[in-house]
Amino acid sequence: MKRVFDTQLIGPFAAMIIVAVIVALTTDRFLNPGNLSNLFLQVSIVALIAIGSTVVIFAAGIDLSAGSMVALLTMILAQMLKFVGIPLVLALPLILVTGGVFGLFLGLITAYGRIPSFITTLAALIAFRGLALTFNNGSPIFSLDPALEPIFYGKLAGIPLPFFYLLFFYGLAAFTMNFTRLGREIYAVGGNPAAAVLTGINVKKVQTITFVIAGFMTAVGAVLMSARLNSGSPNYGQTLELQAIAAAVVGGASLAGGRGNILATFMGAMTIVIVQNGLNLNAAPSSVQSIVLGLIILLAVGIDMWRAEISALMPRAFGRRETSAKASSREVT
Amino acid sequence: MMAATTPLWEFVDISKAYPGVLANDGVCIKLMAGSIHGLLGENGCGKSTMIKTLSGVQQPDSGTILHKGKTVTISDPQAARELGIATVFQEFSIVPTLSVGENIFLGNMPRTRFGVIDWKKIHADAAAVLAGMNIEIPTEAITGSLSVGEQQLVEIAKAIAMKARMIILDEPTAALGEDEIERLHQLLRDMRADGTAILYVSHRLDEVERIVDEVTILRNGRVVRASGETDINVAQIVSAMVGEDVGEHYPKEHNASEEVVLEARGIATKSGVADASFDLRKGEVLGLGGVLGSGRTEIARAIFGTDEFIRGELLLNGRRVRFRSEIDAIRAGIALVPENRKYDGLFFNFSASGNITAASLGALSRFGVLNLKVEAQATRDLIRDLEISPQAEEKTVNLLSGGNQQKIVIARWLFSQSQVLILDEPTQGIDIGAKIAVYRLINQLTRAGKSIILISSDHDELLAMSDRIAVVQHGAIRRIVSARELSHDALVRASAETADTPKEEAFA
Repeated sequence: MKRVFDTQLIGPFAAMIIVAVIVALTTDRFLNPGNLSNLFLQVSIVALIAIGSTVVIFAAGIDLSAGSMVALLTMILAQMLKFVGIPLVLALPLILVTGGVFGLFLGLITAYGRIPSFITTLAALIAFRGLALTFNNGSPIFSLDPALEPIFYGKLAGIPLPFFYLLFFYGLAAFTMNFTRLGREIYAVGGNPAAAVLTGINVKKVQTITFVIAGFMTAVGAVLMSARLNSGSPNYGQTLELQAIAAAVVGGASLAGGRGNILATFMGAMTIVIVQNGLNLNAAPSSVQSIVLGLIILLAVGIDMWRAEISALMPRAFGRRETSAKASSREVT
Repeated sequence: MMAATTPLWEFVDISKAYPGVLANDGVCIKLMAGSIHGLLGENGCGKSTMIKTLSGVQQPDSGTILHKGKTVTISDPQAARELGIATVFQEFSIVPTLSVGENIFLGNMPRTRFGVIDWKKIHADAAAVLAGMNIEIPTEAITGSLSVGEQQLVEIAKAIAMKARMIILDEPTAALGEDEIERLHQLLRDMRADGTAILYVSHRLDEVERIVDEVTILRNGRVVRASGETDINVAQIVSAMVGEDVGEHYPKEHNASEEVVLEARGIATKSGVADASFDLRKGEVLGLGGVLGSGRTEIARAIFGTDEFIRGELLLNGRRVRFRSEIDAIRAGIALVPENRKYDGLFFNFSASGNITAASLGALSRFGVLNLKVEAQATRDLIRDLEISPQAEEKTVNLLSGGNQQKIVIARWLFSQSQVLILDEPTQGIDIGAKIAVYRLINQLTRAGKSIILISSDHDELLAMSDRIAVVQHGAIRRIVSARELSHDALVRASAETADTPKEEAFA
């Protein structure tokens, strides 16, 4: 049976380590404690949002709405704190609930309205950005609350707080996916929705729940985004949804649904951020960073698709996997 | 037959290995023009591998291929086509959204001298091909809207349109009704008379007996009976395929009691059930007999809550029930093992355990947390009891044989608390050994007090494994008789009496 640390983790883990070693060898400052802790801060927002994106992908959906939803939620948070005067302790849970409700709407439209999630969330990607612009005449709102910044920059025992958020949410997600009925049902729905119906799984409900999870995790990301800059802006979160999906894909999640390991998504996010960090330290322009990110995504999926061919070239290193990869490509009867 | 002449195709000492298996080991087959050659064997015997080699999908590791006595290589499917080989694979290669005419000429569409597709010629030529086959299908029809049987005929029309001299048919009748099978057989006889060589692969031995001229039987990748070495007779073929005396082909146990579990009274649905009344007893196997399109699957859908009733009522354990969806039916203890296990039954991303427990996740969890220990233990027990390949514990089910897959789907309901199981074509496309295992499973289920509604196009199987048989025609149950009182011929006649154009019966 599926274990939390199964073979699906080996590839993404190896990729992360290899990339880290290469960057460490070519860049002096990479291993500085300051840079490493910065790395965690950098990865935290996209990695947390990627939990939701990955869970949606496990159920054979896709969520393109995260980036715009972050912008909208930071604006709602800013509005609440700055102009409505809702205290921070109340505003934070409200934002998380709002994110969940947004996800619920997207899920209901997708599952019960029978509109493909690609379309639902593409529409949301466009509309949420517009909604974000309706606040404060489309201008960013600054200096929200002095207590907001420590949520992102604070430390516990010398370790940045986002590290603990990552630990908590990835732990929870790994437990849910591997040990709970919901997790199993998500994999089942993604693996074969027709069979899931015939085994009595409430497919529409499960699909909807994945979007609620995605909305909630996006809200977590939005809170960190606001805390990081102590502001809300309708321009935040551009392409964040694509980075989150990239993390899932580099982590080996199948866009066809049903396959993948949630912890691998974190490694996927780390791999991407380490490369970006390395390029940053070497003062590479953002154009180069984008090109490299595109290549990483292609390479990650390519390695997965061409596993059989690669293992034929390296029978020893990949020997154990070879039989299964080959046999699945042509069913032997 | 032209037995004395050079074979049209001769395959000598063909070997092909996959990692860990020698799928074909020195296989020799001679295919004569104007002869129907049966290629038989259990799943995993190397038939599919052989077909792939013959149709150019893959290259053999060693061996010689002779076409009219000359050595050739079939480098790819295109080369096979040019050499006059057409293959009708189990999974159709037609494009469902295109018209019949387009499908028939897909890949070599006739063009006008201006380089655009000559639609007039396509439809005229396609109509000529279909007329030659004595088939009435409009060439403008969208292929996906045809019945499975008609789609199969379009596949064959494709082969005829490209003037194939050898045609390979892989399980051509798996999805066909009785009269469609007869139509296909007539077509094959006509093609044989025209001098076409036909390689015929099927698990339905009764029909092999009817149609083939010679057989080659494979076991574990080798030829165990070459052409002419065995009579074309089911008993002999079975023992050669399995390699031992299989004993009782249908090990039927009678476990029916008097207690009525499920009762249907005058059910009718919009999907085509007109009037279905029956009672199902504890431990009983009730067979639904009838041709494809008679409404058997629709009756199953109605009971399972997929289609709404417009008339009639359903009683479970004496109490009236109304299912608004499949989930209601499953909660009440009714299960459906669908006809198409590949698409509707299995989770290919799971190993055996995930597939076995999929319908029992509620019972397996407390506060939403799964008890993985119980799951692992139950899976091990079922793998042992049902003689499922031990690999199923680790590997995802797409890597298992059809027989193992079907056992796993049924094991799911054995593990669940369901009282009534609807088995729709449970042995379709699995080999004889696995079929017998499924029959034993049916016994095991009824012994455990579960009741079964069996739908099968294999009349022998239906007669042998059912306690009673309900004859279905036009969506109505005409009569219910004891299986012992019904002969094969009587069942075929009863169910085919007023058979009209069959509709598609797939579970959509």
